[in-house]
Amino acid sequence: MIELQHIFKWYPAGGSRVYVLQDINLNIEAGAFVSIMGPSGSGKSTLLNIIGMLDLPSEGSYRFLEQSVYDMKEKHRVELYKKHIGFVFQSYHLIDELTVYENIETPLLYQNVKSAERKAMVSDMLDRFNIVGKKDLFPAQLSGGQQQLVGIIRALIARPKLILADEPTGNLNSAQGEEIMNLFQKLNEEDKVTIVQVTHSEKNAAYGSRIVNLLDGRIQHIPQTVHS
Amino acid sequence: MFRSYFIIAWRNLIKSKGYSLINIGGLAIGMAVAILIGLWIYDELSYNKYHKNYDSIAQVMQKQSFNGEQSTQISLPRPLEFELRNKYGNNFKHIVMSFWEGDHILSVGDIKISSTGRFMQAGAPEMLSLKMIKGTWAGLKDPSSIMLSASVAKALFGDKDPMDKMMRINNRMDVKVTGVYEDLPYNTEFKNVKFLSSWDLWMANNDWMKNARDKWGNNSFLIYVQIQPNTTFESVSEKIKMSKQQNVDAEDKKFNYEIFLNPMSRWHLYSEWKNGVNVGGRIQFVWMFGLIGLFVLLLACINFMNLSTARSEKRAREVGVRKAIGSMRYQLISQFLSESFLVVVLAFVLAVIIVATSLSWFNELSDKRITMPLANPYFWLISLVFIIITSLLSGSYPALYLSSFNPVKVLKGTFRVGRFASLPRQILVVLQFTVSIALICGTIIVYRQIQHAKNRPVGYDRNSLLMIQIKSPDLAVKSTIINSELKNSGVAVEVAKSGSPLTGVWSNNGGFDWPDKDPNKVGEFATIWITHDYGKTVGWQIKEGRDFSKEFATDSIGPEPDSTIAYSIILNETAIKYMGLKNPVNTIIDWDGYPLKIVGVVKDIVMESPFQPVRQTIYLVNYSAADSWINIKINPNLSAGQALAKIDAIFKKLVPAVPFDYKFADTEYGLKFAAEERIGKLASVFAVLAIFISCLGLFGLASFIAEKRTKEIGIRKVLGATVYNLWKMLSVDFVVLVIISCCIAVPVAYYFLHGWLQKYEYRIEISWWIFVLAILSALLITLLTVSYQAIKAALANPVQSLRTE
Repeated sequence: MIELQHIFKWYPAGGSRVYVLQDINLNIEAGAFVSIMGPSGSGKSTLLNIIGMLDLPSEGSYRFLEQSVYDMKEKHRVELYKKHIGFVFQSYHLIDELTVYENIETPLLYQNVKSAERKAMVSDMLDRFNIVGKKDLFPAQLSGGQQQLVGIIRALIARPKLILADEPTGNLNSAQGEEIMNLFQKLNEEDKVTIVQVTHSEKNAAYGSRIVNLLDGRIQHIPQTVHS
Repeated sequence: MFRSYFIIAWRNLIKSKGYSLINIGGLAIGMAVAILIGLWIYDELSYNKYHKNYDSIAQVMQKQSFNGEQSTQISLPRPLEFELRNKYGNNFKHIVMSFWEGDHILSVGDIKISSTGRFMQAGAPEMLSLKMIKGTWAGLKDPSSIMLSASVAKALFGDKDPMDKMMRINNRMDVKVTGVYEDLPYNTEFKNVKFLSSWDLWMANNDWMKNARDKWGNNSFLIYVQIQPNTTFESVSEKIKMSKQQNVDAEDKKFNYEIFLNPMSRWHLYSEWKNGVNVGGRIQFVWMFGLIGLFVLLLACINFMNLSTARSEKRAREVGVRKAIGSMRYQLISQFLSESFLVVVLAFVLAVIIVATSLSWFNELSDKRITMPLANPYFWLISLVFIIITSLLSGSYPALYLSSFNPVKVLKGTFRVGRFASLPRQILVVLQFTVSIALICGTIIVYRQIQHAKNRPVGYDRNSLLMIQIKSPDLAVKSTIINSELKNSGVAVEVAKSGSPLTGVWSNNGGFDWPDKDPNKVGEFATIWITHDYGKTVGWQIKEGRDFSKEFATDSIGPEPDSTIAYSIILNETAIKYMGLKNPVNTIIDWDGYPLKIVGVVKDIVMESPFQPVRQTIYLVNYSAADSWINIKINPNLSAGQALAKIDAIFKKLVPAVPFDYKFADTEYGLKFAAEERIGKLASVFAVLAIFISCLGLFGLASFIAEKRTKEIGIRKVLGATVYNLWKMLSVDFVVLVIISCCIAVPVAYYFLHGWLQKYEYRIEISWWIFVLAILSALLITLLTVSYQAIKAALANPVQSLRTE
């Protein structure tokens, strides 16, 4: 599903370059649950943004679903990621002025889904995650865990093949964090959604099927499946 | 999709009410000004368009050269009519002679009213395309006929049918009503023509007009024409150019008379002539107001842009999220444009409400009768275009700017507004304050100029001075009895007649000669015909010599031909200066062979414009020439109401056929300031609006800067800065901007105001304190506006502002 080859990312600093990512080669199969780990500044988020096509590398090639991402026009790239990729953020990034229902609906608006269909899809999701009662509340009226749940539902609404999560439990307490991780695991196993998460926590990383360790912009080693 | 845009736009507006109020309110005021000015300009441009033949009507005018100067005038000699008809007739559809518009008495039985109208030739109703309610355009064919406007017909005949009824003009001309026409609207040249009667009738009653039949030197008449459709004003003007010059006496050829047509479309807006060339007129105000309107609207739009972008950091995260979940840039652009559209529509609704409620006030201010053209589809079409353009104008910058944010940076929180992001805002504030300061200076100077002229000594006593125009022969005949009756009853202290009102000069004459006359000077004077008591009535001040008195035989009769006696005259100071006389009293001067003796000199009396120098004037006693006005000095012990009632009773008793129609000298004099006061009021309104809009711009910039420097302010506070330190730090930048504005505004304002004042001979000097005052008030306004934001930012808890990083 994801094939990264020789990905470099650097910033010019004076005469030299500061490397954020160096020679990243990474293949992720459909259906995988990958955790990217590493200390602060190791390039985890940059890597995630490159996978999510929000950021471009300085060098390297990227194939997503057998298509070469950097050979296509920006318009197609946006089409590609808005159809197949959902984002979950550490600080949820819900739109404050929109209700839960409207927040979840927004990606569908950008994909030109018809009104009736949109309604059905959102209601479906609200049912499934059991938050029908909260659909008219605004983000500020929800707890952190609930906000992140809405964030995940928003990422899922367009039935993406890939979910990218940047420290999804970073702002949550442990109980809320556990619920979210269980949800990811369930989505991965039952819905066959590919998940790539960035995390600091060994415990959260253990939910995944594979761990990628980054240090100073390089992949350290790729251990085999942690648990079967 | 759009529904969702509008929802979020609406919730954003509701969430920050103060900001929305400023934004929508500011835009609405800008739009209201633009709409008002638009309506005003439309009204000015549609002047005279009531007449269907607007495009083919012209007034015949003439130019003449004198001492190298070319003068232009509308009054023409009578024989020109026959010349035009006989030699150039095929160019015209109508040639219509007209006498000057004037006040006349109309009476039916006991009902008498005073009304303005004209005596014109029979083609007038058709040429002017009067809308006939009764009768036809042929109504003036018979000389003894009159056509009435609907309002006059109603006043004279009530609900009865006026057609074919007999009535009288000025108590001496019997006429039959042959038509009733719709009153002409206020925005045409002929708006005051409340009745039309026959040129031939007027001539039959005025011998001097009959005598003018072949006098090329008597320029006392007006000629209007409608040209044939197959020709143009230019070509006809070219043809008739020499029609007067060819006919005048050989000695008058030096004046180089030129006859030409002045099209109706130019009468109102291009009425000023200088040295034979049209130099515009009201069109300059149309341009000036148009520019101001556009400018105010533009400032309001730019404010809207600035306030929106100043809040961009708040919206940045939303943009990042939207981009991350798949929004294309054009979708964000259309989102922000629909937001601005919503705001503009709300502002427009508010603007229409503002216009509707302020229209009557605006009409009073600008002397108009504009109505909201709500039923006019063009108004709505233009409004729609206006809304769309304004939304694009005001929404495009925020839309392009906000949608360009990089989602990764915004969401990571590393997004910073650039170092120069506030530069356009600073330029805008400078621009706005330049305009405000210039307008403050303008307002002060206009007011001071008006005040200056109002305080000018007028040379007579305006208080309790009543003027009554003599329009009917009854009044002229009985004026002596009226005079004594008024004095005997105790209502009047003095009564005198004159040939000109106190507020105008109706008679000028040339041909004066005096000892040691400079050959380059023209012997032309304003000649005011008066009766003996005139000086006492108006309270003039004798500077040298004596006033007129009945005791001197030489005071009693005006100049007569072949007389050997020098008759008495009184001159004003300007005349003495003009003539260069050292010892004016008892000097004998000559008027076309009649000797005149100067018996006194009076202080200048301001009869014409209070802004211009007084003309050299000669006062002469002549009871038959002083027949236009009765001047009454009311007994100061009576109130105006009591006095008027008594005078009215005396008039009713002695001259029942004449309506009691009076003017107070001080109100008439006050009217001379109307145009200047209108400019003054409009300038002050625009100054207030400009300041208000500038404050909005300043407020936007201040909130932007305060927000941008939140972290810096927090750190400074932690390091021990006081609120005063922070307030000073934040305010000083703005003071610098305002000082830059002053440096631009003061020379610009000085240049324009200096130019404006040149129009007036009697004017103030521009003193430096006016500019100091304007600058100080601008600084004060700035500090007040900025302090709100500065103190708010300075008082904020530093822990919170630092935690946001």
